Amino acid sequence: MFDIILQAGASVLLDPLTLGLMGIGTLAGLLAGAIPGFTIAMGVILTLPFTFGMSPIQGLATMMGVFVGGLSGGLMSGMLTGIPGTPSSVATTFDGFPMVRSGKPGLALGLGLWSSFFGGMISAVILVALAPQLAFLGLEFGPWDYFALIVFALTITVSLSGDNMVKGLIAGCLGLFAACVGEDEINGVARFAFGSDHIRQGFAFLPVLIGLFAFSQLLSDVEDNVKAKSPLMAKTADPVRVEHRKAIALVVKNWINLFRSSFIGIFTGILPAAGGSISNILAYDQAKKAAPNRDEFGKGAVDGIIAPESANNATAGGALIMMMALGIPGDIVTAVMLGALMIHNIIPGPSFIQDEPLLAYGVFIAFFAAHFFMVGLQAFSLRLFLLVTRIPMYVLASVILAYCAIGVFALHNITFDIWVMFGFGVIGYFMRKLGFPLAPMILGVVLGKLAELNIARAIGTSDDYFLFVTRPWSLFFILMAIVSIIFPFYQNANKDSMFSKLYVPICMMVLSFPLFLMGSPVRMIIAAILLLAGSYFVYKRTTTLQVT
Amino acid sequence: MTNNKTDIIISVFLLCFSGIMINDASNIRDLGFEGMKADAWPRVVLWLLVIISSVMLGKSYLLFKTEGHVGNNNFKVNFAKFKNALICFGMFIFFLSTLDYLGMLLGGIVFVFGLLTFLGGFSPNLIFKHLTISILSIGFMWMIFTFGLRVMLPEGEILRVW
Repeated sequence: MFDIILQAGASVLLDPLTLGLMGIGTLAGLLAGAIPGFTIAMGVILTLPFTFGMSPIQGLATMMGVFVGGLSGGLMSGMLTGIPGTPSSVATTFDGFPMVRSGKPGLALGLGLWSSFFGGMISAVILVALAPQLAFLGLEFGPWDYFALIVFALTITVSLSGDNMVKGLIAGCLGLFAACVGEDEINGVARFAFGSDHIRQGFAFLPVLIGLFAFSQLLSDVEDNVKAKSPLMAKTADPVRVEHRKAIALVVKNWINLFRSSFIGIFTGILPAAGGSISNILAYDQAKKAAPNRDEFGKGAVDGIIAPESANNATAGGALIMMMALGIPGDIVTAVMLGALMIHNIIPGPSFIQDEPLLAYGVFIAFFAAHFFMVGLQAFSLRLFLLVTRIPMYVLASVILAYCAIGVFALHNITFDIWVMFGFGVIGYFMRKLGFPLAPMILGVVLGKLAELNIARAIGTSDDYFLFVTRPWSLFFILMAIVSIIFPFYQNANKDSMFSKLYVPICMMVLSFPLFLMGSPVRMIIAAILLLAGSYFVYKRTTTLQVT
Repeated sequence: MTNNKTDIIISVFLLCFSGIMINDASNIRDLGFEGMKADAWPRVVLWLLVIISSVMLGKSYLLFKTEGHVGNNNFKVNFAKFKNALICFGMFIFFLSTLDYLGMLLGGIVFVFGLLTFLGGFSPNLIFKHLTISILSIGFMWMIFTFGLRVMLPEGEILRVW
């Protein structure tokens, strides 16, 4: 075990080229995260074409740098100008910006930076400890369970993607359909090719992704003539000297908040599709509730910066746990990572850590190392960020659109891929305009083939369709999918209604059933706790409702 | 932009799209092997799409009946919203159509220059700036991909003749 970790460590940390690439990736991520209108996913997607020529570990280390850098980049613009660079740093602005305005920009940036660092480190430790264990658990999964897990991943993406669940479901179906086009994995039969040899090969993942996400985003960014021509940020900021020592001392002093927020981040990351944009607000909310000095929140509270920043970096570790152990992306960024691995002919899944230990542990170590790069490069990226924000959006968008075309061409050296990117770019743009969330579609594209393969395997193994509901894991994920579908109704329901009060305890009771079926002592104890707690809350809340 | 009327149009479009694809699914060859057929999964996905699109159609129709049309019908206003996106589409189609002749280097420069100028403005000062940006950016990217990553980018007939 240790020799594998040492070898993996050496392949990442002792190779100057890998380190250099990771450094460039982190810098690119810090900038992508800092610039409003750009997202971390976009940064990772645009990095992908550069990684084709690299070894898998170099490619993944580079993207890991972009991922970690992006998560921390958002705090720069959020704190200095009040405009969050990414959705995952929205809550950071609540207290970061007021602290900067009160004359402590160095401390605010330092707190954000070191909270991100420590949050990332905590999640990295959990990642290394939990991913292999979860992978062992994943070895219990049959094709029925895997299919049900994918259904759950898609339904939770839909339920968390916005107000309009119907549009989210349509987007998910469109993604699944896009993955069907071309030769099918099992029989090699052409589908929906309409006589075209190119379409017969199917849509490559990268052009679809760049089109849907980056191309459509750039078109939206230049839509407004006035905004497109003005510099990226109207408000500019001066270079700041970060107060490292004071910030570290404050973060360590508030260690309870740091750990609580980091665990919120990790848990949110493990849930498919729930990324940093949710965890930072959840952590901020919990920090506010737990703080003795709630009135200071919103005016530059130290805890108000530590909570969201440690949570959003910890989310990355959580999302990676799911991707590495089960091959299910935790959010859009890990969906892109999954695609990147597939480009390098590596399919993550329960046996991935056992089959490719060097690569798996290399990714873990790259995740660790990227946090050190992030701290080291923050000051330099801040200067670069101030330079980049003077450029008008239309200039950046035009150059990046051309870069997208070159990058996509580099995948298979065929022009058809650029047409695919363009086509999906147009679809993505209109979907954005019409209020369709893109996340379910992207997950549909990524997981579509896997879903089909597993349902085909399940049907090929046995013609008993009841196995989908009689196998404990499959039943567990199907119930989770139903719970996630109902979740938006719970969110919108009147807080005093019977439904709102009983939703959570009933979910606990229902989910205990498949856990009982699993038979192992630990799971049965968890099931019993869930059942007892659920029953208690149902009893307590129904009696309260009867009294009122 | 999204409103009830648009949602009705979109759901009808999705229903038509699903119908065409379900019809095309019957052309998928059956190799006669046991297990799941090649057309089974796409059919499931497409029927799911039909059901959800019908729900969206029903929902938006009911809203349209009760609330009426909410949104702007003025063509000029709507066109102005999409002008820049349409310019991007047009330039990209031009770039792709001429890629075989101009190649990635020249085509890329023309694309970036054209897009910058259409979006940014036509003053002599700006045109010079745009030309510089397009040559430097595409030249830099072309060099990285050609020499750094060893990707054979399309050369284009014009450069081949020279």
